[in-house]
Amino acid sequence: MDFSIITGNIDVYLEGLKNTLILVSLSLIAGLAMAIPLAVLRVIGNPFIQWPIRAFVYFFRGTPLLVQMFLVYYGFGQFDAMKDSFLWPLFKEAYFCALLTFSLNTCAYTVEILRGSIVATPHGEVEAATAAGMSRLLMLRRIILPSAFRRALPAYSNEIIFMLHGSALASVITIVDITGAARIINSRFYSPYEAFITAALFYMAITFTIVFFIRLLEKKWHAHLQPADQSVITIEAPHENITG
Amino acid sequence: MYNYSRYNNTFRLFGFDFNRNCLLYQRRDPWVKQYYFLPFSIDVKGFMNTSQHAISVEQLHKSFGDNQVLKGINLTADRGEVISVLGSSGSGKSTLLRCMNLLEIPNSGIVRVAGEEVLIKKNRKGENQPADMKQVERIRSKLAMVFQQFNLWAHMTILDNVMEAPVHVLRQRRAEVRERAIHYLNKVGIGDKLNAYPIHLSGGQQQRAAIARALCIEPEVILFDEPTSALDPELVGEVLQVMRDLADEGRTMIVVTHEMGFAREVSSRTIFLEQGLIIEDGTSQQVFDAPKTERFKTFIAAMM
Repeated sequence: MDFSIITGNIDVYLEGLKNTLILVSLSLIAGLAMAIPLAVLRVIGNPFIQWPIRAFVYFFRGTPLLVQMFLVYYGFGQFDAMKDSFLWPLFKEAYFCALLTFSLNTCAYTVEILRGSIVATPHGEVEAATAAGMSRLLMLRRIILPSAFRRALPAYSNEIIFMLHGSALASVITIVDITGAARIINSRFYSPYEAFITAALFYMAITFTIVFFIRLLEKKWHAHLQPADQSVITIEAPHENITG
Repeated sequence: MYNYSRYNNTFRLFGFDFNRNCLLYQRRDPWVKQYYFLPFSIDVKGFMNTSQHAISVEQLHKSFGDNQVLKGINLTADRGEVISVLGSSGSGKSTLLRCMNLLEIPNSGIVRVAGEEVLIKKNRKGENQPADMKQVERIRSKLAMVFQQFNLWAHMTILDNVMEAPVHVLRQRRAEVRERAIHYLNKVGIGDKLNAYPIHLSGGQQQRAAIARALCIEPEVILFDEPTSALDPELVGEVLQVMRDLADEGRTMIVVTHEMGFAREVSSRTIFLEQGLIIEDGTSQQVFDAPKTERFKTFIAAMM
């Protein structure tokens, strides 16, 4: 085993790290930004609005991410209409295709996560908001969404990590992300173990960083679920007068 | 609540309703594409607000499917009155309360809050719905409701719970509201729990927080929907004491309850519902000492 090929070529990995981080964070931001209104409409919209959202979620959850990416990157290029359109400069870039696919994919999953937690809002809290004279929009903004986001946080942190790991697929369509960097090193030195264990360590480091920040957020957001004050909890002394 | 369609074949732009003593104007309903008359008073804030009545319902009917729950309720609460609503379960007490702040839309009848009549129209399916959501929201913000299950917003601290409606619905200044909220929380005896979350409080404390939340919007009427039914027996007393204090202050309250002691001693008036109709109505003393109906006699005998 020779890790000097890694340390000697660390700049390839750093380039990959940069690409992975940009790709994942941009698609998560775009996906979440689209998912919030879609999830709300999926819950309260009329059937004509709900139906296309359902179809969208169904498609993106029903097919593998790799297939979706191939469809966008290779599939669209097959049509002359696409090649002639003003969108082609965007769609011929692997980077844009990966970003688009990842965003839509994570959006579909996030819609379902949010929908579940919106539906799970305690009925009494909604009723109290109605009785206080809140309009639907205000209720959404002040009661339903804040409460739903809190419930969605554990599931969404999973989705963030899945997205990070799913982004390894971007290397298949020529993008140099962390996996892409590992493939370059592997083919240059033919040392797959060193190349991919390094990639794995990079992914682990990112994952643990994400988990750390989610913990912080949970501490802040889930204060209403935790025991009031840990220091107050005392262990009761055993009763002395118990006989038999 | 009011059948506007009977004005349909008239072509006047303005009218006068002698029953309600108010000027009417014509407006087109974009949904059903027909004209109807609205009383002017609803647009001119406070025009009819000189009314003695804090809240009144006339000929209120409500059914869920085939199940007729309310069969024509007439009830008027004057300012400062404390009305206990008694009745066995299924008699429509809670439904009556929920119709008052439009959590349930009555099938027919009139609801007036501080002189303002709630406008109801038929939607395309022929169901009743509020004609003007803004009006309903305004009316709801004048009524406060205290629920059996407290229904505090779990993700907010107690102080935020109390400040929420005044700040975001009534759009009052945060600093003023904060002061008032702390005042009311002190008054119900949980001034030391401002930054606690609802889950950290006992049932009695949660219900008192819910009462403070109701008080902080300074409502015309406070509606209590079985406020002590979900509490441990030893916590009931603290909530009833708070309600007693409110009654002594002269606040208008309508209390659906099973607490006979409260109804008898605290409320100024007691009504008894049986199968969707009011069968006893009078001052608490009258009703308890000389019930008019056999049904109420057996009811108190069973409850005492």
